[in-house]
Amino acid sequence: MSMLKTLLPSFALLRSRWLGCPLALMLTSTWALAQDKRWGPGEPASDYGDRFYDLFWLITILVSVAFALVVVLLVIPVLRDRARPGHRASFDHGKSLHDKRLTAIISIVTFIVLDAWVLVIAMKDLREAYWAIPDAKDPQTYRVEVLAQQWAWNFRATGVDGEFGTADDILTINELVVPLNRPVSFNMTSKDVIHALFLPEMRLKRDVNPGAINEAWFKPIKEGDFTILCAELCGFAHYQMYGKLVVLEQGQFNEWEAEASRLASTAFDADDTEAHWAWDWQE
Amino acid sequence: MSSDHIHPEPTTFLRKHVFSTDHKVIAKQFLWFGLIWLGIGGIMAMMLRWQLANPGVPVPLLGGLLFPRTGGVIDPASYNTLFTMHGTIMIFLGLTPAMIGALGNWCIPLMIGARDMIFPTLNMLSFWAMFAGGAVGFYSLFVPLGATEAGWTGYPTLSTTVGGVGQGETLWAIAVFLIGASSIMGGINYITTVIRLRAPGMSWMRLPLTVWGLFLTSILNVLFVPVIGSAMILLVLDRVFGTSFYVPASIMSGGTGGDPILYQHLFWIFGHPEVYILILPAWGVVCDLLSFFARKPAFGYRTSVGSMVVITVLSAVVYGHHMFTTGLSAMLGESFMLLTMIISVPAEVLFFNWLHTLWKGSLRLTTPMLFAMSVIFVFGLGGLTGIYLATIGTDIFLHDTYFVVGHFHLTMAASALFGTFGAVYFWFPKMFGRMMSEKLGKWHFWLSFVPLVIVFCIMFISGYAGMPRRYYDHTSVEYLRPLQHLNVATSVAAFLLGAAQLIFVFNFIKSRWWGKPAPQNPWDVGTLDWTIETPVPHYNFKTIPVVQCGPHEFSNPVLGPDTDWIYQTEKLPD
Amino acid sequence: MRGISWQGLAVAFGALGLLTSLQTSDDDNPHARAPRGVSLVVTEGAYLRAPGADWFAERAKAEPGRFTHDATLAGGIGGWVDAKGEYWFVEMEEGEWVYNQWASPERLTAGRRDFVQFCSSCHGLEGDGYGRSAQHLRPTPRSFQQNKFKFTKVIADLPSDEALLAVIRRGLAGTPMLPWDLSDVQLLDIIQYIKSLSPEESGWRDVYSQVGDAIEVTEDPWVDIKERAIVRGREVYHGAASCHLCHPGYVTNEELRVIRKDPEGTTYRENLTYPALKDSEYEVLGRATKVMPPDFTWHQLRAGITTADLFQTIASGIKGTAMPQWKGALPDEDLWALAHYVEDLIVSYKDQRPERSAFMGGLRTSGDNR
Repeated sequence: MSMLKTLLPSFALLRSRWLGCPLALMLTSTWALAQDKRWGPGEPASDYGDRFYDLFWLITILVSVAFALVVVLLVIPVLRDRARPGHRASFDHGKSLHDKRLTAIISIVTFIVLDAWVLVIAMKDLREAYWAIPDAKDPQTYRVEVLAQQWAWNFRATGVDGEFGTADDILTINELVVPLNRPVSFNMTSKDVIHALFLPEMRLKRDVNPGAINEAWFKPIKEGDFTILCAELCGFAHYQMYGKLVVLEQGQFNEWEAEASRLASTAFDADDTEAHWAWDWQE
Repeated sequence: MSSDHIHPEPTTFLRKHVFSTDHKVIAKQFLWFGLIWLGIGGIMAMMLRWQLANPGVPVPLLGGLLFPRTGGVIDPASYNTLFTMHGTIMIFLGLTPAMIGALGNWCIPLMIGARDMIFPTLNMLSFWAMFAGGAVGFYSLFVPLGATEAGWTGYPTLSTTVGGVGQGETLWAIAVFLIGASSIMGGINYITTVIRLRAPGMSWMRLPLTVWGLFLTSILNVLFVPVIGSAMILLVLDRVFGTSFYVPASIMSGGTGGDPILYQHLFWIFGHPEVYILILPAWGVVCDLLSFFARKPAFGYRTSVGSMVVITVLSAVVYGHHMFTTGLSAMLGESFMLLTMIISVPAEVLFFNWLHTLWKGSLRLTTPMLFAMSVIFVFGLGGLTGIYLATIGTDIFLHDTYFVVGHFHLTMAASALFGTFGAVYFWFPKMFGRMMSEKLGKWHFWLSFVPLVIVFCIMFISGYAGMPRRYYDHTSVEYLRPLQHLNVATSVAAFLLGAAQLIFVFNFIKSRWWGKPAPQNPWDVGTLDWTIETPVPHYNFKTIPVVQCGPHEFSNPVLGPDTDWIYQTEKLPD
Repeated sequence: MRGISWQGLAVAFGALGLLTSLQTSDDDNPHARAPRGVSLVVTEGAYLRAPGADWFAERAKAEPGRFTHDATLAGGIGGWVDAKGEYWFVEMEEGEWVYNQWASPERLTAGRRDFVQFCSSCHGLEGDGYGRSAQHLRPTPRSFQQNKFKFTKVIADLPSDEALLAVIRRGLAGTPMLPWDLSDVQLLDIIQYIKSLSPEESGWRDVYSQVGDAIEVTEDPWVDIKERAIVRGREVYHGAASCHLCHPGYVTNEELRVIRKDPEGTTYRENLTYPALKDSEYEVLGRATKVMPPDFTWHQLRAGITTADLFQTIASGIKGTAMPQWKGALPDEDLWALAHYVEDLIVSYKDQRPERSAFMGGLRTSGDNR
């Protein structure tokens, strides 16, 4: 940083259009490279997050082997079979029974290795995780209604009474607080355009469509502050539609929930009906 | 049957060069049109990369001219316009005319031994509909509030008046509709021409694979472009006449209004085949070029054709994989996942055939050959990464991140573009009667290929690290700030890639007017287009040729030791 | 033109016309009005109020050559044109400044376009606060027909361009009002347009309105003695300023009695450690909304949390709400002390969950303060 500061007085120079731009590029790259770098999405913080990792690396291994094969078979002829005087290509239409058998075998192997293998694991993941939306009646399930808009996330939790549409509903904008180790279930819709709730550390992404309610869930297994992003183009401030996800362990969460509920009831204006947007939970 | 297919040579300038019905002139029109738009789209891409690497820094050279109100900085709305128009332009106004319009018009009649397309006037209309689409798209950049900002996918309700009330989006829809009309006209023409005007002896299994690729593409065009046409009409009705096909009546319950998801279905029913619309001609060209320059028959001709047909059919039933996060039911999601995965099998057969064609060949590493071989590499990379996106488990994280951007650029943009480059280098001598510079061509190839692979491979990393696409400034989010070094690296490689295209422009223009005059058959290839003299006369063939053998009889032992090829009009010695 | 049926065309056009007339009207919900026939052109310029004579004199001194006098302006009354041709200042009588600014139609058109593009999703296409994305949203987005702004840190009736620019650039934390990445040219055009939305004879179009810059940040007298500032601030907060009437009191009843020097047995409002919901002047659908004064240990503050920001906000008050202007009512020294105290509350307890529950819990469990 101190080095950067010594560079700052020359900023007027950088502003000049001709000299400034190439210099700015270099400066930005230096600045960017000086930051903490990251090469992956970070450790998963939800119970099914590992499934993404496992599947991703499995596919990566399979795909790398396949691609390496392609490259080798591409490079060998280039090195070995270049046109030169006296060299003649072998004549082969690939019509023989042998060739047809080879094609068939490779197709079957491809299907089993690249497709079926991945498919089986993916199906298992889907049924055990993504589509196993927790039972909303289970008191363990923490339910959140999400109302997206250009360009903010409105969250509504039930508060201590466990019911939506009451005075103690906890309303937050761009900040969501959830308990640790309890499934969090979403009902989501949008006021205007399509958004997508993207919790990168939780490996969760789901579109938020106007006119319909979409469901999603995750179960946080790590405490701390995480990221909420929008992953569907929603207008020019799409990139600014981010928020904070806070995961608290149960004791702290209960305290937070009680206080937030109490403050919410204080702020509740019963006559201002236009402000009450909760809906009946949908499953 | 072709002998009576004759219309007199035009004499006026207008009929000869502008409103021409000659397929060769139309092919050149499409080529120039496509290349110019590729240039415009490319400049837009450069500006996007500039903004991503240097958020909020004025764009050099062009900035002050294009964004006077912000002192040369791309503002967030202009950024959205840029990537939307970049996508639209590259797909509809760049690759479609350059690949399908130019290549189809040039190759189909010449390669099947016809004197022109079967519907010459429709052919002309196809170009001018495309031109009108381009004009409307270009005009939309200058209306108040600017051109569309809703992404090239134009998802409602962002693309309806809920997202913006300017005319840009409406004009965009009209432009896409016009371009679609052009594609349908071209498609009908190509299909009918291939079916009806093949020279005697040109059986289906003697067609060059380029023609097969273009033929299958045309089928997809005719079947699926009308779908996006209807989607665009509904969008225009919603925007201009206040209907609500896509706008839900109530944001909470849905009620009796429309449904934005309807559009997504319509769009992707077209959108996924569109990927194959762009890639199938490239595959056909690659199949042919590999055989031509490896001096070997295309290995497994029938299985190659079969795989292309299977992919054509499958492409119609896999579109749901674009909508895994939209909220598809479990049953639909799993079905689409399975169907998508199955595509890897015919694709693998093609790869097998390509690599087998090269094996034990006698490789002439000319520029068209290099581009054809790079398609194997680039499409391999792009196709294999498709498996991540076909699998719902990984797609949920990777959807709408830079991983997707890298994937589709490699598969449909880079492969189709490199296929086009290969085709241009290959057919340039016949088209313009002059050779392109091989030396510059090889510089162009290597300086395009290496940065291109770097650009899109880094995108895989940034996508895997969770960087969402269509963000104006990734440094504004704490989670994404540590990924900025990837953005900078991508941009540097992208600028190299952009600069390399200047070599092509220089080579193309220089060779067009001042290049070495081309011999009749510079590549020693036997297909029908090379049997006629250069420049190609108005009627292509004085007498309609009679085809005696397949297109790929290279190195056939029966030809004797002195030559390794034979014209398709010649009979193989016994 | 064989083959084209003109009757058929006529029927088609008729059908289109019918379709147009059939479109569902959603006029009863102002948030979802069909955005048809939206004009993107402003044909008339507007006379607007700008900051007064002193401001003008200062600018003229700071930028010599910016203004030129033109005696023919406004029917011979005369005034000054600035280098951009946008402002002109008319002298009515000796030293009295009336309409200080003229926004040209071209400039308003540019502002209108940017407004529609960037602001209308919340503030509405006509700037009335009924954007589609504003439904159910509290606090509600400003209606620019009301000419009242909460966080401009201005004492005068209306904020100057610079004050508005600062709000838009900074955004309002914790609301969908983002810090906008637009250029000054765009933002100033939008601001002129917003000002021109004042109804006739009110707001910026009222010659008697006062327009001012954000309140000046005076010298912080407590800069080296923060601890004393915090102690003093706590006294002012619960004493002279009586902030605890709306905001939470951060003391027990016992302590409050001591600070306020009230007699034994005095009782204070219930739920002293919670904020109290207050009326505001900001209306939605013909109904004034209520606003919640923030609990500094819990809620996010909109207009910045540095000591200087807090000083400005406290000194200037928040227009249209129960938060009065404290400048003049309390000496600057006390305002700074308050700012330090509030900053300390934020730094010590906001998002510091264990510390906060220990602190607030301690207040609530003691004595009669449950």
